[in-house]
Amino acid sequence: MKFKAFLTQDGVHLLDKRTLFFSQSATISDAHFRKHLACSLLYITINLLSGDGVQSVAQFNKDVLFRDYRISSQNAGRIAFAVDVALLHRALRSALTIQAQARDDTAAIQIKLVKKLPAGSRDPAPFLTFETKGRVSAVVQDVPISKPLPRDDVQQLQSALEAAQDLPQTLVQVQDLAQLQSLVDRLRNVGDLLTVAITRYGDLHLQVSTSLITVGSEFRRLRVLGLRADPPIGDRTLSAPTRTEMAIQKGEGLSVQVSLKHLAKSLQCHLAKPDCAFYGIAPQGACLTVIFQFFIPGTRLTDKSISFYCRLPVLDPGSGP
Amino acid sequence: MSSSAGVGGDAPDLVCQLDCAQGMVDALSSVRWKRHQDAVVEISEHGVVLIVEESGCLQAKVYLKRELFLAYEYTAEGRPRFGLSLGLFVDCLNTFSTPGHAPVIEIRYPGPDMQLLLKTVDSPDACIYAEIRTRIPDTISWDCNFQSTGNVHATFTEAVDDLEWPGSSIQIVLQPDPPSVILRGEGHGDLQVEFPYYANTDLLIAFQCDQHVSYRYKYKFLRATTSHIPNSVLKDNRGSKVTIGRGGMLKIQHLISVKRAGGQHSHGDISGGIQQLSRIAYIEFFVKPEEDESPVNDT
Repeated sequence: MKFKAFLTQDGVHLLDKRTLFFSQSATISDAHFRKHLACSLLYITINLLSGDGVQSVAQFNKDVLFRDYRISSQNAGRIAFAVDVALLHRALRSALTIQAQARDDTAAIQIKLVKKLPAGSRDPAPFLTFETKGRVSAVVQDVPISKPLPRDDVQQLQSALEAAQDLPQTLVQVQDLAQLQSLVDRLRNVGDLLTVAITRYGDLHLQVSTSLITVGSEFRRLRVLGLRADPPIGDRTLSAPTRTEMAIQKGEGLSVQVSLKHLAKSLQCHLAKPDCAFYGIAPQGACLTVIFQFFIPGTRLTDKSISFYCRLPVLDPGSGP
Repeated sequence: MSSSAGVGGDAPDLVCQLDCAQGMVDALSSVRWKRHQDAVVEISEHGVVLIVEESGCLQAKVYLKRELFLAYEYTAEGRPRFGLSLGLFVDCLNTFSTPGHAPVIEIRYPGPDMQLLLKTVDSPDACIYAEIRTRIPDTISWDCNFQSTGNVHATFTEAVDDLEWPGSSIQIVLQPDPPSVILRGEGHGDLQVEFPYYANTDLLIAFQCDQHVSYRYKYKFLRATTSHIPNSVLKDNRGSKVTIGRGGMLKIQHLISVKRAGGQHSHGDISGGIQQLSRIAYIEFFVKPEEDESPVNDT
């Protein structure tokens, strides 16, 4: 099993900024580097194998991150392992700092998979090594990783990733993630079970309910991707719960229940400053999907080489068509 | 403002709008001395009164006059009353406001299920709403017929803070000659805080007393009357009015400024008079005195 590549300038900055997405949202997580035969992608995922809690996936096109990319494994060119994201992020940051301090245009950061003998141990262990080589010096950082995942686990990961790509039929765009996060933080004072309803008219409706109080918030006329419909006439005067119920009964909306804690966690990614966020309910109410996109710097075009998404598990099947 | 019909075609008893949610939260928090408290709310054409009490010895009322609201449509007959969790109501109002943004909130009563309905109405494309369950209230056990025997206008809060001996009682003495208020606490030792009338008019602003009056009150109840006034309000506070009524009933009144969003800060126009009055919430506390100890019998 071999892996070796140089990080491009863009790549290292990208990983540095975007890994913030994970280091805030998970204490211990698994990052899986994976080269897919057809398109050479790097996936960093959290919770995809454990099936518990929020699943997060960051997908990068390898050419954005790496040059001189070499990978070989007995697993159809796929390598997956677990790593602590905080350690990974720290190594990236120091490599960046060292590179900047070297003031050396040729200073490059190379990462590779190695086996080394850790201090005080007699068995070699796998590491992801960051080597920052300049003209006069080289700095090496070893990030401990798990043993590369066995074939079965990698296969399971592959299937989970493919399932995760089952896009919801209707997605609504939320413009102000900070505002949504502030709302979610306040709703947590009421309770933890959140009902999320999304309609084809572009409504996003969040509601927390206990036996004594119901608090909810509705955002209307959001931009819709996918299946859309015109709202029925005269629905402006109706209350939010009534409107949502009507949409669901007509088959033009879906509703699921998720944990407010999970939603709050997934929202912490706004630290990575995504340019857009889309919310949708997967077919049959399987999960609540959040997709984050980034623009190519200086444009409003989506950068297709990077994508992040989270899937929030559904706690109780909500009503749906 | 539209008052759309509820279920059954009856208009709700009250539909009102306010834009000073934070001020409302300040006013209501000043009578929240426990995390969970049941309140009784009474609505009328004059405004809203919220009443809380504890163990028959402490009662607080918050008067929110209709002038505090942006709009106030009252169509009920008589004065409907309902029970509500104070904590839930305050927490709910807090959910609506964010720092720097004071939304316009519409409050309606009753909803189809006798709930209290709240909703932000300042944006057509986004809103926050809430429904709070209400209950049939217990009758209020004491409605004091208050006759005053002496009253003072004072910065009461610091005195009560200084006398902190939980578990003990505080004796309040009003005496006409020399005119002064004395608060005395006993515990491990004793402490006396004296406000002579002529000494410092910052502390004791007004004083009226015909006879020597002295009663004891439980410390924890006195504490409840002052310790939950939000700090931001204390700075604006004009001082509290303390009155002892017949039988020793202690009445403490606070005026809490409920600033309107975009309105002037009250410092600027204390002399604003009528304009200013409409932005005040009145808070009243009533504390029953401790029973006199019966004389020791030697049997």
